Formats: sequence, C-alpha cells, structure tokens
Amino acid sequence: MAVYLAENASMAVRTLSANKLRSGLTMLGIIIGNASVIAMIAVGQGAQQFIGKQFQSLGTNILFVLPGIAPEGPLASSIPAESLVLDDAEAMAREVPAIAGVAPEKSDRLRVTWADKDTQVDVTGTNSEYPSVRNAGVAKGRFFSMLELQQHQRVAVLGSETARTLFGDRYPVGAKIRIRNYSFRVIGVMAEKGASMGMNQDEAIFIPISVMASQLTGEDNAYTSPSLQSISVSAKSSENMSAAQFQINNLLRLRHNVKGENDFTVRSQQELLQTADSITGMLVVLMAATSGISLLVGGIGIMNIMLVSVSERTQEIGLRKALGATHKDIQVQFTVEAVILALTGGSIGIAIAVAGTVIFAALTPLEAIVSPVAILLAVGVSGAIGLGFGVLPARNAARLDPIIALRS
Amino acid sequence: MSALEIIRLEQISKHYGQGDLEVLALHKINLLVNQGEYCAIMGPSGSGKSTAMQILGCLDRPSTGRYYLQRQAVDSLHDDELAYIRNRKLGFVFQQFHLLPQLTAMENVMLPMTYAGLPHKERHERAAYALNQVGLEQRMSYRPNQLSGGQQQRVAIARAIVNQPILLLADEPTGALDSRTSQEIMNIFQSLNDRGMTIIMVTHDFETARLCQRIIWFQDGTIINNALTPEEFREFSRGSSRTAPTAATTHL
Ligand SMILES: Nc1ncnc2c1ncn2[C@@H]1O[C@H](COP(=O)(O)OP(=O)(O)OP(=O)(O)O)[C@@H](O)[C@H]1O
Ligand SMILES: [Mg+2]
Repeated sequence: MAVYLAENASMAVRTLSANKLRSGLTMLGIIIGNASVIAMIAVGQGAQQFIGKQFQSLGTNILFVLPGIAPEGPLASSIPAESLVLDDAEAMAREVPAIAGVAPEKSDRLRVTWADKDTQVDVTGTNSEYPSVRNAGVAKGRFFSMLELQQHQRVAVLGSETARTLFGDRYPVGAKIRIRNYSFRVIGVMAEKGASMGMNQDEAIFIPISVMASQLTGEDNAYTSPSLQSISVSAKSSENMSAAQFQINNLLRLRHNVKGENDFTVRSQQELLQTADSITGMLVVLMAATSGISLLVGGIGIMNIMLVSVSERTQEIGLRKALGATHKDIQVQFTVEAVILALTGGSIGIAIAVAGTVIFAALTPLEAIVSPVAILLAVGVSGAIGLGFGVLPARNAARLDPIIALRS
Repeated sequence: MSALEIIRLEQISKHYGQGDLEVLALHKINLLVNQGEYCAIMGPSGSGKSTAMQILGCLDRPSTGRYYLQRQAVDSLHDDELAYIRNRKLGFVFQQFHLLPQLTAMENVMLPMTYAGLPHKERHERAAYALNQVGLEQRMSYRPNQLSGGQQQRVAIARAIVNQPILLLADEPTGALDSRTSQEIMNIFQSLNDRGMTIIMVTHDFETARLCQRIIWFQDGTIINNALTPEEFREFSRGSSRTAPTAATTHL
C-alpha cells in the first residue's frame, strides 16, 4: 500500500511538473489561503501577547476607578463624566483598608513650550503616589513630593518621549518649561513604558493635581472638589484585589448616594486584560475565518482545474485502463495529484507566511508568533481540501470508458 | 474442440446508439482462433473491424452473444475483472501508439507491470528484456518526442508484450507509418509469432496481410470469410474487387 501510494505520488509529481504554469496557477488559491491563515494567526497571537505584556507593565495589583458606568451599559452616555472627584480618591485612601496606594488622574491635552519647541501633550495632574501605584519608574531626577503638591508648586515630570521632543539630547532636569503659559520647573523624567491601548504612555507630563485643578483647568473653588478622569488604586496584594474592589464599591455608593445603577466603574487589571484578550481573540478568529474562506476558494480552484485536466487527459486515462488500470487505480492517481497540489500549495503558503511574519515583526513593535499548531492545522486542512475537492474529478476520470477515452 | 483454443466468439452482435440512431456495428459473428495463429482482419472501412477488436480486447462488451477467452466467458465480467484480463492476458498496439509523453520508453513499458503490482526490480528487468526484443535497448531513457514513429510503435509493442500476454491485438499498427518502417514492425510481429505468440492484426494493406497465415474478411458487420490463406485471399479479392470496395463506399 505504501509503495503503491509512493509510486502514485512520484507519477503525480512527474505529471504536475510537466505543466508547471498550470500547476502553479492551480495552487495559487491554496497558497494565498494558507499564507493568510497562518499570517493572520501569527499576527493575531502576537498582538494578544503584546497587549498582555502591556497590561503586565501597568502592574498586577492595580484597580481602575472610572466615572460613569461600564461603557457597555445602555445609560453610559447619560451619566455625567464628572461623577468622580478628588475627594473620592482621598476618602478611598483614608477609609479602604485593602488599599496600598491611590493615584487620582486629571488630564488634559495642553500646549507645552520650551525655547523654540512647541507641542501638545497630555498633561496629567496626580499625586506623589503615582509611580508606585502605576508601577512606573523615574529615569532621571525624581517625582514630585507630597509637600510640593500641598504647596501647589509648579513642578513637572516628563514622559521619556516628551523629554526627547522638547530637549533632544539635552538634560531636561532643572529647565523651565511653559504649560499653558504657566512656568514649570522640570524635576524628573519617567522611564520608558511603551504604548498601551493605543496611547503612548511616554508622551506625557505629570504635575501635582493641586496645580492642575487650580491653575491649568481652573475649576478649583472652595465648594466643589475637582473632577477626575480616573483613579488608579493599588491593592496591598493580589489576594486583596476583590476585597479592595468590594470596599471601593461600597464607599463610593455611599459617598455618591447611589440607589440604583452605579455612576462609576471599578475595573481590575485582570478584567481589562480579559476584555482586551477576548476582543483580540475574536479578531483572530474573524481573520482566520476570512482566510479560511480563501482556502475554500483555493480548494474549488483545484477541483476546477482537475476537472479540466481530466477531460483533457481522456486519452491517457483510456490508455491506462486499456493497460489494466482499475477504477480504483485511476481514482487514486487523480486524488493523489489533487492532494499533492494542495500540499505543495500549502507548503509554499506556509513559507510565504513565515517570511512575511518575520518581516512584519521586524518592522512593528508586535511580536509575531508562527505557531506550530497553526502550521500543522494548515497542512492538515490543505491535505483535506485536496482530498475533498479531488474526489469528484478523480471519480469522473475513473468512470471513463476505455473505448470512448481512447477514441477521442 | 481444440485444446489450444484461445478465442471463441458465438453470435456476437454489437450496436451503438438507440432508436433511430442505432447502428449495428457487428451482426452475429462467430470466430475461433487457436494458440499460435497469426491472423489479419481486413475489410472495408466501417465494416466493424475496430469494433470487433475492442470486444476481443475486453475494452468493450458485446451487446449479445458469448465471448470465451481461453474457455472463460468474459462477456459479462465486471469492470475490474476485465481490467485484470487486459492487464495479464492481452496486449494492445494502437495506430496512434498512445505512449505517455512525460515518461521515458522504459517507464512506458513498465506501466502495465505497475498495475500488475510487480516489484520494481522485476519490472525493470522485464521492461529491459521487452525493449531488447524490439531492438530498442539503446533508447530506453528516451522520451516519445525524441523517438521516430517506428521507434514509438516499437516501444508500444514492448509495452504490449511485457506482461507476457496470451494474445496480441493490433488495430492498424502500421497505419501511421511509411512502408519501410512498416516492414520493421511486421518483422517484429513475425518473430513474436515464431516464438508462439498469438496475434490478431487489423490492416488495410494486402502486403502486410500477406505475411499472416490467415485472413479474416469483414463486411457490413459480418465475417464473410474467416480463414483465407493469402493465396485464397488474392483469388477472393479479385473476384469481389468490384463488390468489396463498393460496399464500403455505400456504407459510408
Ligand atoms: N462509438 C460509436 N458510436 C456509434 N457508432 C459507432 C461507434 N463506433 C463505431 N461505430 C459505427 O460502427 C461501424 C463499425 O465501425 P468500426 O470502427 O468498427 O469500423 P472499421 O472497420 O474499424 O473501419 P475503419 O477501417 O475505417 O477503421 C461504423 O458504421 C461506425 O460508424
Ligand atoms: Mg478501425
């Protein structure tokens, strides 16, 4: 049996390589299908891993408190974004025992200048706990202190990218920059963090939230506490996460006098990771399915050309039958040809995908992972397509009458 | 009944098509061929010679009648059983050679043994021997398009005899060749017959038929005379030279 198949395979290779152009065109669909399936899966998995790493870099014990309800809720837009205020953050730090640190964040995109440099940067007002809560290091100088915050000192810590934009190779610490025409003293530069969820974390400036509220956004008054975009909270340990989440939830419901739906959302790092994971996972499946369709189309292409080939090779088929080939012999011959076409096309597709993925990974921050499982799957699917779509032409060939076949 | 009987046809008829389009290609043919005979089938165009050859070659089944090959009834066998008989017991030579262009002479000759499932080494030895018999030992690795018509036909003969058939069937084997090359082919057939091979050959050429012991004359789907010697045939064709060709033209 093995010898029989091997002989059929070598005969098929002879036949197929006798007409290279046609064989190549026949394989095109399978090549493209396989290449895209594998590349899609590789890029998709790379993206998934990339996002995972991004979240890891934020810290694992971290919780985010956001104003408004969860974005998927129907009332999302009807709840004012001002529902979260600085007093909430301070109350959490004071009253929630499971919490290690709290960093309020109030951001705005503002004009920043130094010497002749002029740029727009996301300026975030926060407190001195930000680096420890967000797991962010300071590369040069230092972060601002509690005292500087209380004294409303105009000091700024630059994201690494922003430091580069404004100062180039010069040492920024000690320089005076202007944010919205207020003069700020640069006291530090953050360590590089990379991009996360479409935002470049290195393109940022951090200043005391007291200064942000009173001088830059100008909503500080004696009666209302300044509103926040988010509050980052670090739990004492990862075991304390759900306790912290529960306690924050209770505290804020009390403070906000909530009876029904929450006007805030507490999200853990884990949940965000899962959400992002499921979104990219869905994308991967979607892309793979789309490429799968092109595989199917490739299979139909093989069937099409094989049908043509059978009708062109009636003489050969008739002769083989005259020499003693059985129904099964002819069926196997043509099926093997289809499978070899599909497998060869599949392998070429895989080679293209691997090469493409490596190039893609070199050009983007994404890591592309060519998974062996995907390759095995693609080979299997290609073979199955050859088998499946080769059956009909092979059966047509096997059914030919030796007489009719020899006559034409 | 001879112990050396190879072929016995009893009341074989063959019709193509149906209804108004029905063509009766063979009408109640009887024929007996013994081991070692060298027969030529002759007759006007459309008289049913090729149809008879296809039935003899188990490439087609008769519409009615019985066909015994070595006393085995083969007219009602299954496709796969017929394939087995074609492979082991029969050899074919066609007018258009029918070699596979992507294969060498050697590989073409090995083809029937592939279907017989012989081990590769034996195939190779046997194919080399068969090519030797037809005088092509120098051309084994040539492809058909590197060979002359006569050489291609010799490859086809080697392929037909490589499984040591009991009967060699040739439908106008020299029809596509010039007379000198035809002579070479006839010499091969003659030497095969000298070594005991039973041969049935269709030909239009009396010079070719003259080399056979026995001439079978077809006309309008029947056998008019099934055992003429070349001398008798000369007489016969002189007598019917007015009728035989005329019959052919009206038939067409
Ligand atoms: N497949 C077919 N369908 C219909 N009619 C056929 C078919 N094959 C042969 N015939 C008819 O049967 C008759 C005998 O044909 P056949 O080919 O046996 O003649 P032949 O003696 O071999 O002629 P030639 O000398 O020209 O080769 C002819 O009338 C032919 O038209
Ligand atoms: Mg004929």
